[in-house]
Amino acid sequence: MAERVRVLLVDDEAPARSLLREYLGAHEGVEVIGESTNGFEAVKAITEQRPDLVFLDVQMPKLDGFEVLELVAPEPGAPAVIFCTAYDEYALRAFEVHAVDYLLKPFGRERLAEALGRARERLTLAAARTQGAAPAASPASAAGALAAAARGQGHFAERLVVRDGAQVHVIPAEQVDYVEAQDDYVAIHEGGHSHLKHQTLAELAEALDPERFVRIHRSFVVNVDRIARVELLAKDQRVVILRDGRQLPVSRSGHDWLREQWS
Amino acid sequence: MHPLLARPARLLLVVAIAALFGVPLAWILKLLGPRPWVAALAFAVPLQIISGFIVLSAWWVCRRHPISGPGAWRAVAVQLGAALQTTAIRTALGTFWALALDRWLYAGLSRADMYRDLAVMFATGIPFYLLSAVGHYLFLAFEASHEAERRVLETQVGAREAELRALRAQLNPHFLFNSLNSINALVGSDPEGARRMCEGLGDFLRRTLALGARDEVTLGEELALVERYLGIEQVRFGDRLRVERAVDPDAAICRVPPLLLQPLVENAIKHGIQDCVNGGVIRIEAQCTGGALRVAVENPVDPDAPVRRGEGVGLQNVRRRLEVFAARESQLSASRTGETFRVLLTLPAVVGALSEAPRG
Repeated sequence: MAERVRVLLVDDEAPARSLLREYLGAHEGVEVIGESTNGFEAVKAITEQRPDLVFLDVQMPKLDGFEVLELVAPEPGAPAVIFCTAYDEYALRAFEVHAVDYLLKPFGRERLAEALGRARERLTLAAARTQGAAPAASPASAAGALAAAARGQGHFAERLVVRDGAQVHVIPAEQVDYVEAQDDYVAIHEGGHSHLKHQTLAELAEALDPERFVRIHRSFVVNVDRIARVELLAKDQRVVILRDGRQLPVSRSGHDWLREQWS
Repeated sequence: MHPLLARPARLLLVVAIAALFGVPLAWILKLLGPRPWVAALAFAVPLQIISGFIVLSAWWVCRRHPISGPGAWRAVAVQLGAALQTTAIRTALGTFWALALDRWLYAGLSRADMYRDLAVMFATGIPFYLLSAVGHYLFLAFEASHEAERRVLETQVGAREAELRALRAQLNPHFLFNSLNSINALVGSDPEGARRMCEGLGDFLRRTLALGARDEVTLGEELALVERYLGIEQVRFGDRLRVERAVDPDAAICRVPPLLLQPLVENAIKHGIQDCVNGGVIRIEAQCTGGALRVAVENPVDPDAPVRRGEGVGLQNVRRRLEVFAARESQLSASRTGETFRVLLTLPAVVGALSEAPRG
């Protein structure tokens, strides 16, 4: 139980971070390894320093707390998370992404001690499970749930976040040309660049606005604004020609969808 | 649609009243020429009913040509013309009706009798139409005064509602939660700072309630409230929040509705400073030129932040309050150029004594 807990503080407000530091200072075996003031920094710090526990604010510059979690959680050895925010409306989403606790600002020492206790329990349990090699939930499906929580219920993603090592790219949804399935990953193509993300195509398609993005094939979702024309190659075999000349295959049901959306 | 034609019950009323007018007409016809009562009524009553519907056309003429104002004489002329026209129609229909009755009911109407009846129909038709026109003008005047009264009430209710909303937005609980969290942090590291912040928060809340209870405040008072607000947020955001001010002394004494600016500054922090890693500058400008007061609030926007569609509650609320204050002469425009978001308020520059007493 006396194991050291390595903690990262993520909040854009300095007083909020200093409060956490002060409270945590009273606890044995807790080491604050760093502070991040925005979403990008948080993703970088989590990827590079591998903290055990993250105190995570929700509203921050660049990425919000849920987007940070979406980018780092699917990895094995992802940290336990305690959300800290003045807003109570994110509580449900926080528990959907398996947050250890949800601290509402302002909170006192006792409330923090309680959350820390829970986090320690969770970490001990996780360590035991790793040794026993119990099957963990499939990372890809967890990523889907995280992404769904990140955009909130009933909303379509206005931007996609992808991580390349410790670097984060934010891609506005309307800039995406098309998305291609590649095994457990999706390749998001945008203006000549391509970004890999650990997610299934079905999950990503669900997150995108169906008025703008159509699944034309088992392996392809396309932005309808990028389509120049549809050509018939042979009987029942069609291709979509994009404005930049690229060709994408179209399945029969994909063509039906396309006709519905793009007529 | 004429209001009397809108419902069957009213339609019956039109028929009944018009039919009643048939009795004096029948009496006149009987006085002038020998004919039985039955024949006179059979002629006059249906004719009056039809005429009754014809003179309802005065409704459209009356609405188009109000009798008050500079067009009064023109309206009288138009009404006389309409009286002649409707009477011509009535006389023509009456003539056919008389000929038909003559054939079916009784014969023996002489040519002289016909001409005389024609004259009677014409002579009674004109006052009948004018009576209808007078009635319609009275009805329209009555309705207009009713409508004006309703509009005054509506504006009052709308104004109160907008004020209440502004006050509630002002006392945004998240602002309080975050401020309390900052105080909580300062208690450990900087107790003196914590005291100052308690004082500042108390001062801000007290001023909000005091200004919110008034109809109008000066822009200077409103800006002083905004300064208190920025002072509190400065503790949360530190160097990230920087403020520039360019307020003309002339502008500061202009009258504005209370709690108009603070929501704009709050938005500038929430959607500007908070989204930017290194924060930025909030710029507050106010000028008074050519009888118009222009107040602008500018904030930086993070290029990665998703573009907001439509107007948030804060802006809508400010817009509504401007409408209540001076609907025609006030304006709110919001625009984003590059990485700057700017809200510009334009309202009439009014300077003068304020009603200091709170409303009861």
